[in-house]
Amino acid sequence: MTSPAIDPTRPTQGIQNSLATGQLPRLINVWVVLGALLVSAGVITLIGGFNITGTLVLTGLLYLIAITVASALVENGRKAVDRLVRGLVTVAFLLALIPLVSTLWTVVSKGIGQLNWSFISQTGGSSFNAETLEVTQRVGAWQAIVGTLEITGIATLISVPIGILTAIYLVEYAQPTNLLRRVVTFLVDVMTGIPSIVAGLFAFALFTLIVGPKAFSGFSASVALCVLMIPIVVRSTEEMLRLVPMDLREASYALGVNRSLTIIKVVLRTAVSGIITGVMLAIARVIGETAPIFIAASFTDNFNANPFSGPMQTLPVLAYSGIKFPGQDIDASNDAAWGAALLLVLLVVVFNLIARIVAALFSPKSGR
Amino acid sequence: MKLTRSGSIAAIALVGAVALAGCATSGDSNAGSDSSKSAEATDYSKLAGTLTAGGSSAQANAQQAWTTAITAQAKGLTINYDKSQGSGGGVTNFTAGSYDFAGSDSPLKPEQTTAAEAVCGADGAVNLPIYLDGVAVIYNVEGASDLKLSGETIAKIFNLQITDWSDAAITKDNGGKALAAGPITTVARSDGSGTTQNFTNYLVGTQKANWPYEASNAWPVAGNVSKQQGGSGVVNTVKATAGAIGYADHSAIGDVKAAEIGVGSDFVKFSSEGAAKAFEVAAELKSNGVEGDLSQSIDYSKITTADAYPIPLLSYAITCKTFKDSKQADLVKGYLGFIASETGQKVAEKNAGSAALPASILTEINKTLSTIK
Amino acid sequence: MTDSTTVATSSASEGAPGPAPRQGGRALTGKGSGRAGDKVFLGLSSGSAWLIMVILAGVAIFLIIRSLPGIAANWETSSELNSGPTAGFANFWAYAGPLLWGTIWAAFIALILGTPVAIGIALFISHYAPRRLAGALGYLVDLLAAVPSVVFGLWGIIVIRPFLLPLEEFLNTYLGWLPFFSGTVSRSGSTILAGGVVLAVMILPIITSITREIFLQTPRLHEEAALALGATRWEMIKLSVFPYARSGMVSATLLGLGRALGETMAIALIISPSILFSLTLVTEGENSQTIAANIATNFPIATDLQRSALTGTGLMLFVVSFAVNFIARWIVARTGPGATRKTRTRTPKAKTA
Repeated sequence: MTSPAIDPTRPTQGIQNSLATGQLPRLINVWVVLGALLVSAGVITLIGGFNITGTLVLTGLLYLIAITVASALVENGRKAVDRLVRGLVTVAFLLALIPLVSTLWTVVSKGIGQLNWSFISQTGGSSFNAETLEVTQRVGAWQAIVGTLEITGIATLISVPIGILTAIYLVEYAQPTNLLRRVVTFLVDVMTGIPSIVAGLFAFALFTLIVGPKAFSGFSASVALCVLMIPIVVRSTEEMLRLVPMDLREASYALGVNRSLTIIKVVLRTAVSGIITGVMLAIARVIGETAPIFIAASFTDNFNANPFSGPMQTLPVLAYSGIKFPGQDIDASNDAAWGAALLLVLLVVVFNLIARIVAALFSPKSGR
Repeated sequence: MKLTRSGSIAAIALVGAVALAGCATSGDSNAGSDSSKSAEATDYSKLAGTLTAGGSSAQANAQQAWTTAITAQAKGLTINYDKSQGSGGGVTNFTAGSYDFAGSDSPLKPEQTTAAEAVCGADGAVNLPIYLDGVAVIYNVEGASDLKLSGETIAKIFNLQITDWSDAAITKDNGGKALAAGPITTVARSDGSGTTQNFTNYLVGTQKANWPYEASNAWPVAGNVSKQQGGSGVVNTVKATAGAIGYADHSAIGDVKAAEIGVGSDFVKFSSEGAAKAFEVAAELKSNGVEGDLSQSIDYSKITTADAYPIPLLSYAITCKTFKDSKQADLVKGYLGFIASETGQKVAEKNAGSAALPASILTEINKTLSTIK
Repeated sequence: MTDSTTVATSSASEGAPGPAPRQGGRALTGKGSGRAGDKVFLGLSSGSAWLIMVILAGVAIFLIIRSLPGIAANWETSSELNSGPTAGFANFWAYAGPLLWGTIWAAFIALILGTPVAIGIALFISHYAPRRLAGALGYLVDLLAAVPSVVFGLWGIIVIRPFLLPLEEFLNTYLGWLPFFSGTVSRSGSTILAGGVVLAVMILPIITSITREIFLQTPRLHEEAALALGATRWEMIKLSVFPYARSGMVSATLLGLGRALGETMAIALIISPSILFSLTLVTEGENSQTIAANIATNFPIATDLQRSALTGTGLMLFVVSFAVNFIARWIVARTGPGATRKTRTRTPKAKTA
């Protein structure tokens, strides 16, 4: 009744008795993969020289064909389809792993050389030798780390409660015909496609109205990030709340628990893992933004820990400017940029870990 | 700090010579005005406060060097120069009152000069040339290490009329030595840029017959052109693509090879002195009407000798003549005064790879600065 | 019959999937219990909804005010609009049209390449991988969401551009008769195909993370019931997981699409853009530029009126993302099990309709 159950009226087109058909040996997959690998390596070498990408792609294809045909012959059609899909899903996964690993590898291998304690704890800057007139760069990311933590932190503190509460309103309280609900859903939809630079312009314009023309501050950048974060939080939370089985709410109501407690203790706790995934996605999405930070928080090499006044530096901005506006020593600038990028990824990893621990503490024990 | 360019020692020696000569002249000409005493004597340590500025990314490295150099003396001074805004962003933020001064690759347009009066009052805003560099034509051709290209050939290549490296025009420029045949990929900026503006200024100014487009900050040629974001994008793509040719600020090209550009019958390599010489012979004052404004217009046809680099790039600082807050006025005067000193220009030359502006124009700048209040 | 039709139309016009479960809840609890805590909570959550409305409406109004001068200006006579990045267009629409096309085209390529793979990964992690491995794999994918888009752009330049070059030459040589692969093949690799591949990788983690969570939420009983009836694993997924997750999968894809539409830096860094209508995938000079990348590349140099025109294209991006969302929600409401579910909960008789 409550969830998309299997439609009992759906015709179950001619199910064969799976117990009555033959079965492929258990280790068949391994053998087929090995066979496919050998054959495709041979074919590729014969055609025009060995290359790894070609071999792997051909292996995947051969495996899919072979396992489907074998299963169709020995087992039955339904099992063949099942094996084909399993193969497809696995191949899709392995295929996707290549770019994923390649990206991470690029960041890690290029950034790791830069990552040491002084890079993290030092404020970047430069020193001047009055006699030789030489300016020496000192790479350091401390000002950017502080900026990133403050700007993203403030944005998260503002957007997450607003986003989750709004999703609760949309899912738990508002009727589908409710005008506010329809307008909010509409706006949230539209806002998922907002170009980040526009969010920056909006925030800066807003703060120019409030504090005058020199409105550059970390806080206005936070507001820009909020505009980008809120729709993601609302959307993902909404989806997760929808998935909480109605039975749970009904059980709670049947016990006489009121609605707010049901939402807090039952609905949110059941959905907490999904909600946190959504929040982490939202943070990951905005923590790497450059354009709105440039517009709203300007740019500086100086250390500034006060988010309410003056330009602030962040890690993605450090990475971006190191690549786009390299100093005289181009390689050194690029290295610093990769270091900043790696640091940013590590920061998100740490957040993610913390969030998962929190989620595990709060979510109910499940069968999975 | 590594100077990667060849001949760096010679360059430093020359810098020294120029600087010495400059000191002498500036000492003489500035004797009457006490606000702009020769840079070495000026005491910046009393400057304290915060300057907020931004704009041209071409100036970025120089601005950073200047900031470092002056704050080494003026401990209480904080300067935030936002290089990500670009020239347009710098001017927009300046006319909105967000900046104390803007860096821009082109002087204020008439309507912007009018708009600036809203912030600066009736005295208006002035454009001060503070940064001189050159646009380099960079290439990646197998077997070519000292490519020579005349202005005409450059125009035809970038207009996609010459599409192969073995073309007779290129062979002729290189003294009859033919390059291996291979398609030419022209690489340009995809983003609006002061570099594009200066490069197209040069093509319009010298090659009207072969360059049917107007000067613009956006690359005008359509077709098989590789457009890349940012000077670094152009440099990296040229570096990675065989048969590519592009243009970029000379100070930002790193170890990519730059062509020698035809001037008359000679071919000229970029050098600081070459750019300074080009500025001396070709720059004409083209004031925006505000007293003390130093907007320049470059007449490329006047660059005819082999000691001048034919594609100079000039960048400005734009600031108000009257500040609402006299303290900010002092900071701007102090900082820009340092930039427009012999030391300031030497710092930029040494650390940002730019060319030092001639002493005559520095004197003019200091004259204008002394009227800022 | 009439009842069910009105329900279906209203949910379609509002563009939201039918959230059946909530209605059951409402019926059971009736009106609020009147306790203070309830009231405060309701106040907080509806207050947040109002706040969002104010913020987001503020952004929209700001955009409209900022972009009107650029849209309304006479592009043929304005000297400002006839120079620099906006030069050579008869009016705003001639400028925005190709950009709109480029935005949709790039996002489309990314979705075609990315969505099936993303859902495949989610399925693999939730239903195929050994449980211990699944956690680690899920984490790896989440990690990717943390990589800033600048880095994706650089990765595209360093890795994807040269990697795709031979493939692009192959496609151009042998399949050049197709409009997609025609034209002069790129020699630097800065094609929209490379941009699309990187965009696809960028939207993978978003789609995967959300669909994975949703797949995991499928009621255990449904799955076990399917298996008990003799279904193979794939049939079980088809019968119990997909129907349950359909709305969520569409939502996740839309979030991915939102990112693809609004993505700036990666596209700006990788492709060599031109403002024109083009289907080609492998050329240097005929890649349609996207709105977000165009704003980012030209905004810094632009003058006030040009900025207004660029902001106007940003407004167009709003319209596109709304239209896409609207259509998708409409499709979900019409075809998804949500629609039938709703009518069944309300009026069981209407099932035949």
